[in-house]
This record gives sequence, structure tokens and C-alpha cells, in this order.
Amino acid sequence: MMFVVRRLLLTIPILLLVSIMTFSLIHMIPGDPARVILGQEATPEAYQALRTELGLDQPIVVQYFSWLGKVLQGDLGISITDRVPVSELIMQRLPATVELTIGTFLVAILIAFPAGILAAVRRGTWVDYTSTFTALGGMSIPSFWLAMMMIIFFAVNNQWLPASGYVPFLENPTQNLLAMILPCLATGLRESAVLMRMLRSSLLDVVSMDFIRTAKAKGLNEARTILGHALRNAMVPVVTTSGLMIAGLLGGLVITESIFSIPGFGRLIVESVFKRDYVTVQGAILVSAVLVVMVNLAVDMLYAVIDPRIKAGKGAGE
Amino acid sequence: MFSTKMSKAMLGAVLGTVLLVTGCGGGSGAGTADSGKTATAPAAGKKVINIGLKADPPSMDPSISTSLYDRQVYASLYDKLFDIDAQGKIVPMLAESYEVTPDGKTYTLKLKQGVKFHDGTDFDADAVKFNFDRNISGEKSRRKGELKFVESVSVVDKSTVKIQLKEPFAPFLSVLTDRSGIIVSPKAVKEHGEQYLNHPVGTGPFTFVEQVKGDHVTLKKNENYWNGAVKVDEVNYKVFTNGTAKVQNLRSGTLDIIDDTPVKEIPVVKGDTNLQLIAESGMGFQGIYLNNSRPPFDNKFLRQAVDRAIEREAVVKVLYNGYAAPARTAFTKGNLAYNEQLNTPTAPNADEIKDLLAKGGKPGGFDFKLYIATSPENEQLGAVLQSMLKQYNINMTLEKLEYGQLIETGDKGEFDALQLGWSGRQDPDQNLHDFVVTGTSNNNGRISIPKLDELVVAARGEMDEAKRKALYDEAAKLLQDEAGYVYLYHQYVLIGMNKKVTGFNYVPDGLIRTATLDKQ
Repeated sequence: MMFVVRRLLLTIPILLLVSIMTFSLIHMIPGDPARVILGQEATPEAYQALRTELGLDQPIVVQYFSWLGKVLQGDLGISITDRVPVSELIMQRLPATVELTIGTFLVAILIAFPAGILAAVRRGTWVDYTSTFTALGGMSIPSFWLAMMMIIFFAVNNQWLPASGYVPFLENPTQNLLAMILPCLATGLRESAVLMRMLRSSLLDVVSMDFIRTAKAKGLNEARTILGHALRNAMVPVVTTSGLMIAGLLGGLVITESIFSIPGFGRLIVESVFKRDYVTVQGAILVSAVLVVMVNLAVDMLYAVIDPRIKAGKGAGE
Repeated sequence: MFSTKMSKAMLGAVLGTVLLVTGCGGGSGAGTADSGKTATAPAAGKKVINIGLKADPPSMDPSISTSLYDRQVYASLYDKLFDIDAQGKIVPMLAESYEVTPDGKTYTLKLKQGVKFHDGTDFDADAVKFNFDRNISGEKSRRKGELKFVESVSVVDKSTVKIQLKEPFAPFLSVLTDRSGIIVSPKAVKEHGEQYLNHPVGTGPFTFVEQVKGDHVTLKKNENYWNGAVKVDEVNYKVFTNGTAKVQNLRSGTLDIIDDTPVKEIPVVKGDTNLQLIAESGMGFQGIYLNNSRPPFDNKFLRQAVDRAIEREAVVKVLYNGYAAPARTAFTKGNLAYNEQLNTPTAPNADEIKDLLAKGGKPGGFDFKLYIATSPENEQLGAVLQSMLKQYNINMTLEKLEYGQLIETGDKGEFDALQLGWSGRQDPDQNLHDFVVTGTSNNNGRISIPKLDELVVAARGEMDEAKRKALYDEAAKLLQDEAGYVYLYHQYVLIGMNKKVTGFNYVPDGLIRTATLDKQ
């Protein structure tokens, strides 16, 4: 209990630090929102008027604290370029990315587990070499190229799946799932390679341990040994990697989102940076930081579940 | 200290929260949805046209809009006082006819009768006056610059409006073929105020259903459209930031029309028997700003050397495979000021260039830096220009800048050379005045030639077309001699379309006018 409370309290200074860093970084980028919004149609009067309207003529420190004050009251502000509340924008865009993340992760596990286990158990055989080779290939192939190839094959040449688009799950579940297949596959294949290698090497470590030899000596068959005993012990590094992967996907899916035209969270952040929409970037990164903290918390607690030797809060990375 | 059961419970709580985010958001993700219909699964028998746009249209309010992509959606939502035809000439739309006094200062517009806004209110002179007032004095209006010559707008009767200008302004009607001429429902503005952009109401062939920012805009058929029955039931504008994905979606049938085809995808579109490519000359230009206010390009001879050393035909051939037109002036075919002779490029003459370099005091060549945008096409352009100039020992280095930075660098004048063009407008003044007259907003190159200013300003106030053309001819020649800006080419409008779509009429502004479209 104390562990969770302590971690949650630690979140506050982390978020504060993240917000200050983000604020400083984005204000260091040359080119301000007023100019980007007006583009080539900017007259000096329009430009000044817009700057005042957006509150950009205030000193940076004032802008930051005024933003912070609103956040503490639960108001993430209004998007500079879109004139809608940032919280609304985030709530519109986050579900798609969360769904993509979950889907990608599922694809990754479904491929990595069988492949990794087989490779570790049949180490040195052609099964191992094939899996490892495929894994290496998977990590090397750029996911955007793979995505494009899949679109051409599955959607253009054969009209089996939609080439793009996103429909909220509650609106049309079938269409939602159909549209998610290609993006999750394209990204998941690559992520599965990383997981597979981690699992394989971790399993190999475990399989060489004494207790496994004991189990074999006791007459336990291979499947039960691996699945019942070895796997669970090999999970800790895999869980760590998964946690990092999920945290990374929340923002890192931007390329998949661009290619499949999915209105996702990663794209929201990147496009807002290009548009110099400071307010949206601040709000989105704050939300992203919260999510990453939560994922890390979940991972740490998962350790305690998998491996009772690790008491949450002790030996779990603290 | 912490039992496994507790851990599992906590874990459940944490994961549950994350999933709650998905569940909550999924319901509200539809934005301001009217119906739950989606573009990818239309109801049986409903004709839907899906249009792919390169970027998200930020605002459905023409008074504050500055993005090109808004204008595509406006072509379906709104009508304007005047429109442009396939030849680039001004034709009536919501204004049935007009009269202008010989001094060019008073316009009387006769408005179409019997037209209604999507919310049922009448389109009339009061609505027109309301829109003008909003554009001229509205706090957030971005139309103030182009309407700065309007002194007053008055209602003569229900279908007649009188507009008084401060001085003659020949481009006035052309201004009214764009955003300033769009008439929105006064009732909707009064009702929604600042939120009007999320509840747009016009007189156009389609009415607003919903917009999900960054994703799509959905419109449905206006059953009472005044300008002919609309054949299509729904139009969706979808955002595709990745050009290759956009083309693949056109091929797969997810999209029926795309607003622009990247050059390298042209063979893909042409090679697909289900698709057609509309490739016609647009109204704009691309070229290089040279900084006239500091070395090396404060020197006229060095500017001329760079201008003359570029082989424009080759640029068009190599980069665009012929899908662009070489340019030496701001004006394309169809424009009042178009001058074929002045706009035709001449092959570089090595002796002439060596001579210019010598006159400029740099017989051994010189160095400068060109700022370009980050797209692959831009990089290619930079590379081609670099190799052309190298032959004369003019060493051009390239530096890529992201768009926002590029605009700012141009504004501040912190460059030797900068590649930026203009999407183009119907009237010659709109393609020239603010780019070359001293101190104007798009004159990044700080061009300041008194005689040029005189000619361009005079042409702005000259109502006689023949006299205007003569002034523009003289101005274009002068600008060319001074090489104040290096015009390179006129970009084409490259609209990709599924052959099932019929009724498309090309207009040089590149906008997709959906009123006449049908789908087989």
C-alpha cells in the first residue's frame, strides 16, 4: 500500500519536471504559432493581433505559470490552432492509440512467445536459426515500408482489408477491428522480434539452472518443465521490455498512424509541434507522462505477482 | 509486507484505469456527430464521395481561415458572391450581376433571389452586409488586409447591395471569388459566436455534419440547393499526411478523389486503369527569393547571373516529368497579365553569365546558401539547381528548414536565398503586389525598385483591362531585368480521381467543386 502511495506521490515532481522541460524545449524552436497559422497570408497587423489574442506577447514565465494554474484546476487549456479544449482533443485521439498499442502488443506476444520458447528449447537447431534470423529481419525492416507493402497487398491488389481509417469501437466494432488488423500487424511484427529475442535469451539462462535439471531428473516432461517452471522464471526481463515497449508505443506509433490515417495520439503530438500549438503539446505530453508512470507502476507490481521473491518496492528496481 | 493478492488487486486497479481511458474516449470520439454513419461503410444505395486531403483543414469559418485545405471544404459548404470558370475568368455566383461606376469606387451587386441558408434563413442583402462587416471589423478576422479599401457597405433593397471603396481597386471582384466573398448565415454566427467554426452554415451544395480534427470532415447533401440538384448524398474529406498512403487509398477505393498527387506517384495513378489524372496548369508559381538587401544579392549582376544560369525546361523535365510549366513571371496562361513571350525561358548562355559575374565583381564565381523546405521534392530541386550553378563556379549550399522556420526566416530576412512560392490567385495584383512592392508582407526579398512600385500600384487602380495589361507587361519586364525574384515554374494541379466519379469540371484554382459530381 505504502509502496503505491509513495510512487503516486513521486509522480508529482516528475510531472512538474516534464512540463517545465517541454515548455522550455518547445519555446526554443524558431518560428512562432502566429506565423505558422497565418503562413504566407500574414500581414504585420494580423500577426501582432494574433500574438496578442493567443497570449504570446506575455513573458515566458508568466505564460508557464498561467498554464500551470489552469492545469491545477483541471483545465488543460484551449488549442492555439484548433480553438477547442485540449482535453477534448486528447480524449478524441487517445483511444485509437491505446487500441493500437494493445493490438500491437497482442500481436507481438502471440508471435514472440511460441517463437522464443521454441528457439530456446530447440537451441542450435534449424528451428532456432530460422526464428532468430526472422527476428533479426523483423527488427531491421522499417515498419513504414512493411506497412506500405501490406496495404498494397491486402487492400489494393486484393481488397481484403481496409487501407486506412479508424472508426471508434463503440460506433462500429466490426469496422474498427478490420481497420486495426493491418496497422497492428505491421507494427507488431517488428515489436515481436524484440520480445522474442529477449524471451529466448532469458529462457536459455533459466533452462541451464539447477532446478530445471532437478525437474528433468524427477521425470517431468519437457512441455511441463518449460511451461510450468522455466517460463515463469524467465518472465521478469520480458515484462521489463514489454513495459518499456508499451510506454514507447504511446508516442512512437506516429508513423503507423500517419500511414494508415488513424487519428491517434502520437500524430496529435507531432502535428502540434509542427503547428507550434504549445498548449496542446504541453497537455498531451503531460497526459503521456502520466500514462508512462502508470505503465511502469503496473510493471513493477507485476514483478511481485510473477516472482514472489520480489516484494513490490524491494528489489524491483528501487 | 505486500501480499501477492494485494499486488494482483492493485495491478487490476491500475490496468483497469488504463482501459477506462479507452472506453470513455471511444464513446466521445465521434466529435459532434449527427448520425453514426462512417465513410467506410455507407448505407446501401447511398452515394458517398471520399476526398483525400494532404492536411487537416483547421477552420470552417472563412473569416478566420488561412489554410489552403479549408478552401477545399468550403467548395462544398459555401457559395461565394463570384466564382471562377475553367478559363480563369470571373463569373457570377450568389451575385447575379454587378455594375461599377467609371471611377471604379462604387460597386452595385444584384443578388440571386430565393436562396436559403442550410438553417432555413434567407440569403439577402442584410446577410451580405453582415458578412462584410464581420470580415472588416470582426476582432479575429483575417480578411481585413484584402478588404482594406472598402469604405462602406449598404443595403439598397432586399436583393441589392452597394459597396463603396476608398479608391479604385481593380482586384476587388477577384477578392470576392475567394474567402471574402463567402456568405455565411448571420443567424448561425449570432447563435454560436466564437464556436461558429464548429457549426458552419452556408448556402452550398452540402451541409455540415461533423468534423473530427486531424481525421475527417463529413458533409451531407443539401436537399434544397439553389443551383441544381445535388446527385451525391455524402461527401467526406479525409486527412492523409502521407502522400504515398493517400495514393494507395485511391487505388484501393477508400478514396474517390485526391487533392494532389506527389510527382513520384504520377506513374502509379496513370498506370491504374481504374483511375484518371487531371493534370492542368494552376495559377501559382514557385521560385527563389533572393535577398536584395544584403550581399551577395544586393548586387543586380549577381542576381541576374543566378537567374540566367538556371535551365528551367530541364528543371521541369527532371523533377516533374513535364507536369509543370517553366516560368519567368508570376502569371500563368489564363491570367489577364499573362505574357507568353516574357514567360518563356531562354537557354543559359555561358558567355553572358561569365560577363555578368565579371560585372558583378566576382569573375571567379561566388558562394551563397539556399534555404529549402524539407520535402523530398524540394531536396531534389535544390540538388538540380546546385549542379546547374556549379558549372559557372557559383557554389550554392543547401540547408533544409522546417516550414514554420522557413516562413520566419523569410519574414526576418535572415537569408541569401530562400525557396518559397505562392499558390496563386485569379487577379494579377494578388500574385504580384505583395511580393515585389517595397515593404509589403510577402516581399521577403526586400525588393525595392521605385519604378516597379509605381507601375504595380498604378495597375492596381486601373480599371481598363487593356491599360492594366500594358502596365503589368512593363512591370514584369522590369522585374525580370532586375532579377528581384527568380521565377522557376508554375506548379500543376494534379488531381487523382476514380473513373467512377463523373461531372468533374476543372478550375485553375485546384478546388474540387462537388456540386456537379456524380458517382457510378
